[in-house]
Amino acid sequence: MGHGNMGKVNPAVLEFEAMVKDKESYIKFIEEWVKHSWRWAKEDKYVTVFKIQASILRAIREYLDSQGFIEALPPIIGPVTDPGIRGAKQATIDFYGHEYKVMSSAILYKQYMAAVLGKVYFVSPNIRLEPNDSVFTGRHLVEFFQVDLEILNGTLDDAMKVAEGLFTYVTRYIKDVHGKDLEKMGRSLPDYKPPFLRYTHAEAVELVNKLGCRNPSNTEILWECEKVLSAYHDAPIFIYQYPKGSRGFYNREDPGKPGYLRDFDMLYPEGFGEAISGGEREYEPIKVIARIRESGEDPNKYRWLLEMLKDFYPLKTAGFGIGVERLTRFICGLRAVWEARPYPKVAGIGPAP
Amino acid sequence: MFEWLALKMGELALRLRASLVTLRGIRDFIDDYPIDEILLKAIKGEEGVYPFGELASYGAAMLGAPINRRGYPRFLTIDDLILVPPAFTPKRLEKMAELLREPVFTDVNLEVDVGGLKSSMPLVVASMGSTDIASRYSIAIAKAAAKEGIPFGIGENVHTVRGYDKRLTRGHPSFKERVMAYLTNMDKYGGVFIQQNVEDAYDEHWNKVYSDKDLEPYIDEGRVAFEIKIGQGAKPGLGGVIRMRREDAVKVREKYHFLEDPLKTNKKTVERYSAPGTYTADILRGMIRLMRTSYPRVKIWVKVGPFRDVLDVIRVAYEEGANAVIIDGKEGGTGMAPSVAMKELGYPTIVGLIKIREARLMGIDDRMSLMIAGRLFNGAHIVKSRALGASAVYAGRPFVVAAMVKGEAGVRNFIRATRVETQMIVSALGKYDIRDVSHEDVASLNKDLATALGIPYVYSREF
Repeated sequence: MGHGNMGKVNPAVLEFEAMVKDKESYIKFIEEWVKHSWRWAKEDKYVTVFKIQASILRAIREYLDSQGFIEALPPIIGPVTDPGIRGAKQATIDFYGHEYKVMSSAILYKQYMAAVLGKVYFVSPNIRLEPNDSVFTGRHLVEFFQVDLEILNGTLDDAMKVAEGLFTYVTRYIKDVHGKDLEKMGRSLPDYKPPFLRYTHAEAVELVNKLGCRNPSNTEILWECEKVLSAYHDAPIFIYQYPKGSRGFYNREDPGKPGYLRDFDMLYPEGFGEAISGGEREYEPIKVIARIRESGEDPNKYRWLLEMLKDFYPLKTAGFGIGVERLTRFICGLRAVWEARPYPKVAGIGPAP
Repeated sequence: MFEWLALKMGELALRLRASLVTLRGIRDFIDDYPIDEILLKAIKGEEGVYPFGELASYGAAMLGAPINRRGYPRFLTIDDLILVPPAFTPKRLEKMAELLREPVFTDVNLEVDVGGLKSSMPLVVASMGSTDIASRYSIAIAKAAAKEGIPFGIGENVHTVRGYDKRLTRGHPSFKERVMAYLTNMDKYGGVFIQQNVEDAYDEHWNKVYSDKDLEPYIDEGRVAFEIKIGQGAKPGLGGVIRMRREDAVKVREKYHFLEDPLKTNKKTVERYSAPGTYTADILRGMIRLMRTSYPRVKIWVKVGPFRDVLDVIRVAYEEGANAVIIDGKEGGTGMAPSVAMKELGYPTIVGLIKIREARLMGIDDRMSLMIAGRLFNGAHIVKSRALGASAVYAGRPFVVAAMVKGEAGVRNFIRATRVETQMIVSALGKYDIRDVSHEDVASLNKDLATALGIPYVYSREF
């Protein structure tokens, strides 16, 4: 395990990259793909993909249930939703004269339900009206599912350990149950053995810069650089301790290291990129308010959350979210997430089923 | 009987006076703002740089520098500085060697980078918001600014009050109309910068702009900036106040703070307050980082009012890689500000220039533009500001005045006249690129200003 296998990018990822080189013909392809999805969804390959996806969800539930998590039904709409979504827009609906949002993630409700149930997870649908250029990443869908979990009184390390355990369990399960299917698709998965490598954000930036991808030091890892980092490893890796400001307001600042967050991402190997985002949650109301202002918003908008944080003070939780389509893409070795959903919604392209 | 008449006369006089008082906003503006100078340029274009009316024309005028000022200003202004051309002009010799003839003022290059956008000259159309006057003339100004190649701003609340693409109020262009009027008329210079205040954030204004397909090609080209607003010159520390029609107010009831619930009042208009927005160094830092993450393809500008800690704002913005900071001095224009705010809050524009000079000496290099705003409207203001470290002048009202008198053509005339004026002054200083202008080119008529800016005091032997 570990790294050293520099530049080993999965052939499916390479194929995707070749496709997007000619933007015009790629857009033509994707329009057809999305608008007439039933024409390919019935092909053997995709029937298998959707069966594997069902098994992935079964494996996730098995694992989390065995670890004492309780599945709760996710929220669908609310007065506010997750604003920390890299320039994507939220979908708005009219709720009897009030403006409501469709969940871009269930993050704010996870803290709520962790307070109620202790260890909790949602299999939750998310809507994010992504910027148009997200069509070219292969990793963004406007409508997608996330397994979103939260641990009452959990720490960064607790969350990372669950992530390792979950990933290892699911990949082993799929290899056991769908070994032949994977073989038919030409996908081989090694036996992953945790613990996975952990880099601080600063170390990760240093590494990608060494690998020839220029990434500014105080920002999120750029999509391009994330891929380089992902391709450099043949097992998942963690990046933790992101600089403050590059993430949503709910990520907790490290009291021992001001300016840095107690949060993490997990990246898939082979160039597949981001798998998981998570961390400890900010629970001091004044800190949450100051952080909300970073997105230029009026904290009044998040009144219910702030009142809840005061009522349940100190509501310390940690958790993460893992995208189901991205996990499917990784396990099946697909070109892009739009192969991991029978009716993919892609930025700017419609109408389509 | 006589007493009754006297009383009535008195009443009448008071009423007349009262009706004049209600005209105040306009009267003060006409009396106090250098409206003639701008009008002349708007009407006559390049010719307007000369102080000729219909009676005093070329060859018949005998004008010298005026020495009287109307009224007595309460504080120093940029007009307390003068430009000091030299007799020996080695740069002119260089230019002559390049051109193989005597250079003239039209040879002066004014092209500069302003906050990551390329501008045909160091002048920027300030982001004006949703007020009636800013809104009414916005299309004419947008087109003129685009055609003349100078950056153009769109202020806060336009989206919320006037609509994103569909018009929310009759006779007023939506946000999209404004931005496209500019972008579709732009050639190789210019770019647009867009504000979002607390209320616009509610509508995710920037997110919407960033994923708007019509704007995408311009975003890709690097012609779009987002401007964070931390107060404004006329009312630093206070949020906007706008009077809205009741039926419009009802539509945005949940986003703004109204003193009176628009649903419950029977008044035709209600006053709407927007929050000034709370900042700390950490919040600003976080905001810029978040923007760089969320909107990697746009430039980031920060507009700040005349606050005492403006150097801290500049430092944070610079460290986080913002493209520009604008200091708006107290003379800056406004749609609506309390009189006491305009009179008492914040420092004059010229102090903003002192801050900029200090920031440059502190090591803020030209990776970040520093702009100055507040009653600056002519070529001399541009050259003096550049000489003291500012990257460009950021102005709003002159464009509105020019648009009021002659529409788009008036604004283009004004910009062209200002360009010629700027070129003349730079050439007079013996230089042929605005970027060569430096503090050696200015001196002060006032001792304190001379000391603060580190330039010579004119009435002294060291000059």
